[in-house]
Amino acid sequence: MNQVKKPVSVKKVILRVLLYFVVLDVCVITLYPYFAMLCTALKDRSEIFASIALGKSTILPVNVMWSNFIDIWSRAPMARYLLNSILIAGGSTVIAMLCGIPAAYALARMKFKGQTIFLGFVIVSQMFAPVVLLIGIYKVMGAMGLTDSILGLIFINAAFNQAFTVWLLRGTFMGISAEMEQAATIDGCTRVQSMLRVLLPVAAPGIVTTLIFIFINAWNEYTVALCLISTDTLKPLTVGINTFNGYNMIEWQYLFAASIFAIIPVVILFMCIEKNLVSGLASGGVKG
Amino acid sequence: MNKKTLRRVEPYIWIAPSVILMAVFILVPICSVFQIAMNDVSKAGKLRGFNNFANFSKVLKSPTFALVLKNTIVWTIAVVVISTVLGFLLALVLNNKFRGRKIARAIVVFPWATTLVIQASAWNFIINTDYGTLNTLLMKLRLISAPVNWTPNAGAYFAWEIACGIFVTIPFVTFCVLSGLQSIDTSYYEAATVDGATYFQKLFSITLPLVKSSLTVATVLNIIYVFNSFPIIWTMTKGDPASRTDTLVTYLYKLAFYNSKQGEAAAVSVIGFLILLICASTYMIYTLRKGDDDL
Repeated sequence: MNQVKKPVSVKKVILRVLLYFVVLDVCVITLYPYFAMLCTALKDRSEIFASIALGKSTILPVNVMWSNFIDIWSRAPMARYLLNSILIAGGSTVIAMLCGIPAAYALARMKFKGQTIFLGFVIVSQMFAPVVLLIGIYKVMGAMGLTDSILGLIFINAAFNQAFTVWLLRGTFMGISAEMEQAATIDGCTRVQSMLRVLLPVAAPGIVTTLIFIFINAWNEYTVALCLISTDTLKPLTVGINTFNGYNMIEWQYLFAASIFAIIPVVILFMCIEKNLVSGLASGGVKG
Repeated sequence: MNKKTLRRVEPYIWIAPSVILMAVFILVPICSVFQIAMNDVSKAGKLRGFNNFANFSKVLKSPTFALVLKNTIVWTIAVVVISTVLGFLLALVLNNKFRGRKIARAIVVFPWATTLVIQASAWNFIINTDYGTLNTLLMKLRLISAPVNWTPNAGAYFAWEIACGIFVTIPFVTFCVLSGLQSIDTSYYEAATVDGATYFQKLFSITLPLVKSSLTVATVLNIIYVFNSFPIIWTMTKGDPASRTDTLVTYLYKLAFYNSKQGEAAAVSVIGFLILLICASTYMIYTLRKGDDDL
């Protein structure tokens, strides 16, 4: 630009400073619980319970206890919990995608009777969190012999994430022109082949976003797992870490050390899809 | 089978897995809840026949239910309204260009990504009177001289639960509004600036109308999710003391799995279900109509 630079007004500077002040505050408040968790996870038990009234409590750990992060693996079957969480989240994602991709494809590429009804049910089903239906779920799973089993949790998570899967994938598929698939069909591909070889590679970013989001939802699920699983070694992390949150005595250092293991993978995954998720949000609506 | 019939049934084959999955694990439980609610249920969970809505009248007559319903309404409205306002403001702030915007956005995602149980445990620890970090921090900053009891009564506990609910709901609103804000053409603002519009005029006559649809979707979904939210209250108070901090979902969980009153719990489920159905159908009509506009 060849214009003469405007002098920076005082008002602008003040607004700028105010902006940074607000952003900084928000970040500090948001990160505070995580900071508290990390500090506590590194403390010794006696340091955590040191009396505030006597001024003995600390913010940062005095004796940094890295051993807490090792102890949790022997204090509770953490490795099992972690494995269960991975199995549940992974299994739910696979099933939700296997059922959701064809359905979304049909909704995006074909016209059939009952399309609106199906879409309506998909949207409505998103509204019913499993917790309201817990008694029904418990009964149904009991009848199928799926209470206290990881497989049962996988199906429930897949079903309750189906709405989001179908809705977001349908949007992704509709945003891609059908011409290439039609060309492939003319070249002798069947419909399934043209979907697998032509559409899915193009739709990959949308598919990955959906995939990660289901994984996170299933990973963070708590209520159904709490209700269905009674055997300790079948619990996922979200339920299992409460071993450290007993009725008589809370082992805060272990609880938070274990929590950090449950949080980190999800936060990283979430950051990967944050950008794509924002565009999908306005159209479908998603949340754990 | 000839080609024509195949073509006609083909779409149903494509949607079949999805339909079966949702039918078995969502539709059947819904029916089951209705069935249990209508029946006299033994302690062991055996259905003993239709009992003339006795479960419903028992639930509706109990004073606890009135309290729980009131709590649920307070909880839902407080969390949704406050987080919508704060989330909207935060989106306006984050929509500015500034150094470190990417980092700030990544940080704001944190509470959304964290499972609610852990978030609630962390807050439980922070506000503890005897060893909580909030008291420690305030003591170190010399803002208080003795530890403050942050949870002197059930009401205070409930307020903290609401605060925690707000804390985890804000990111969702923020990101919905941000997605709306990013689709606004900047030329509107430039034209308005040329015409001498103030910041607030631009906010109310350009920004708000254009993000209205994202904001509506976010709000309706939030009403439903917050209404159904279980882990925060369960982790912090389990609804105690004496149901003073219970919401519908924690109440029905206790009825069903602690007190073996499955019939009454199912009745509470049905009542909650009907309340949600009203919200859901409003949302569905809205979304489908919006979908038609796009075509």
